[in-house]
Amino acid sequence: MIEFFNAYHNVIDLCLLNSVLAIGCFLLLGVNLFSLATGGLMAIGAYLSIWLTMQQGWGFGPALLAATLAASLAALGLGSLVLRLRGDYFTMATLAFTEVVRVIALNWDSVTGGALGVFGIPKLTETWHLALLLVVVIYLAWAVRNSAIGERMHAVAVDELAVSTAGYDVARIKLAIFTASGAIAGLGGGLAAHLNMFVAPGDFGFLRSFDAVIASVLGGVLNIAGPVIGAVILTVLPEAMRFSAQMREILVGTIILLAVLFLPAGLASLPGLLRRRVTS
Amino acid sequence: MLLQQFVNGLSLGGVYAVFAIGFTLVFGVMNVLNLSHGAVFMWSAYVGLEVVRTLALPLPVAIIVAAIAAGLLGVLSEVIIFRPLQRRGAHRWMAMVGSLALARILIGLAQEVFGTQVVRYPDNGLASTVIEIFGARLQLLQIVAIVTALVMVIGLAAFLRLTNVGRAVRTVAFSETVACIVGVPVERIRLATFFVSGALAGGAGVLWSLLFQSVSPFMGDAILLKGLTVLILGGLGNVAGALVGGVLLGLVEVGSVVAVGSSYRDAVGFGLVLLILLTRPTGLFSTQETKRA
Repeated sequence: MIEFFNAYHNVIDLCLLNSVLAIGCFLLLGVNLFSLATGGLMAIGAYLSIWLTMQQGWGFGPALLAATLAASLAALGLGSLVLRLRGDYFTMATLAFTEVVRVIALNWDSVTGGALGVFGIPKLTETWHLALLLVVVIYLAWAVRNSAIGERMHAVAVDELAVSTAGYDVARIKLAIFTASGAIAGLGGGLAAHLNMFVAPGDFGFLRSFDAVIASVLGGVLNIAGPVIGAVILTVLPEAMRFSAQMREILVGTIILLAVLFLPAGLASLPGLLRRRVTS
Repeated sequence: MLLQQFVNGLSLGGVYAVFAIGFTLVFGVMNVLNLSHGAVFMWSAYVGLEVVRTLALPLPVAIIVAAIAAGLLGVLSEVIIFRPLQRRGAHRWMAMVGSLALARILIGLAQEVFGTQVVRYPDNGLASTVIEIFGARLQLLQIVAIVTALVMVIGLAAFLRLTNVGRAVRTVAFSETVACIVGVPVERIRLATFFVSGALAGGAGVLWSLLFQSVSPFMGDAILLKGLTVLILGGLGNVAGALVGGVLLGLVEVGSVVAVGSSYRDAVGFGLVLLILLTRPTGLFSTQETKRA
């Protein structure tokens, strides 16, 4: 066990981290929001935390706390602006946010090191931090989904109009979830920066955002295990494909495609679809 | 000087517009973002390059061959991803994830086949031929690009307005139910839409590689983001909006480079998107949207 851990602890760390990020997206998918803001919010958390630890001499804990707060504030601001957009317009607005953050990071040399990125970040993130965070996030997500708020979230996913007709403030539910996912992304960004010891703007582009969402969609939005399974598969796959660097992209793409096409069980996870499936 | 920048913006915007029109056309008919559009654009640039370099055929032939090849790629994406998912009644997100996976496969294949080196089209004299108009020095290439983009847009407009297939495409875009009622063969029309959409990406791919003198397996990502920007500017599924949005984005980008330098060029479009979405939540040229998603 110990040997296994030592051999693969990088992959294990990444699995844990990506699972946390995927759960952030999973919460949003639960209220029908396909957000691509993850990358931008992560970037805010990552750059703020390394600036605090490396240039301001803060401790790791306070820096992570600041990263979490900053990203949740950013999500709150962004959310109050873009949550009124419908469907794909919301998705595109969050993508625009991520890209704008990336370009700012590319040009703000004194903080972000510009295009070259920041080197020599102290490695402060331990595996147990990530594991603990994952447990906490899973517990919170589970608790929320099994509470009155969760009931309402579920209702929002099925029929938003009915929920707002019933007198509930859909916008507020959505904004709360969006802010929470911002906090998760910010914290994840801070941990990621102190895990890799190197950060560049390209790490937080739209592909990063997509990966987090794809993990949720692939794993299934049905229960909390979905995003974790999805994230683990998406993290381990490229690692397992190391034997052929050339073919890696092709194989990973093919496997995702096959999963989308032939695994409706893991995928047809949206409550409405599932009910139709069960009743038919 | 001003005219020169204007022509720069126009040639850039023309390519954006051609790319985005194909993008928006599929959205109009399928109600799904086809995220493999950028990878199709990239492959067509390579196809055009092979036609010019290996077969030594003239450029117009290369554009046509690349457009046809890209159109077939578009059809392929419909057959292997969009159609099966729609038949199964899968969620729209699945199609997005599936098309992104297809993009990954196509990019991987391009790396495998063509390598990761940036290559360029052989010199054809278009770029080096300079025309003087009102003291501005314009490359013949830019004029050709603008004219070619214009020809493609007019061709598409004629196709949509004047042919039966085009009218059927518009019917399906308007409402699938209505299309079924009036006897439009919806599945075949979808194939036609994907072909046209791919072909437009193909034409844009060759023009882009000529204008910027570079072809690489990763060139699709940047243009995909631009396409998404234009899609929002013009309103999802709105062809005329995509044309105006594309040209606008080209002009604004070039304008921003002149005003503040090139470092923020890629953020300008997205800043514009955020600005527009906050003032007009469904794009500049909003179309009717269903109230129940």
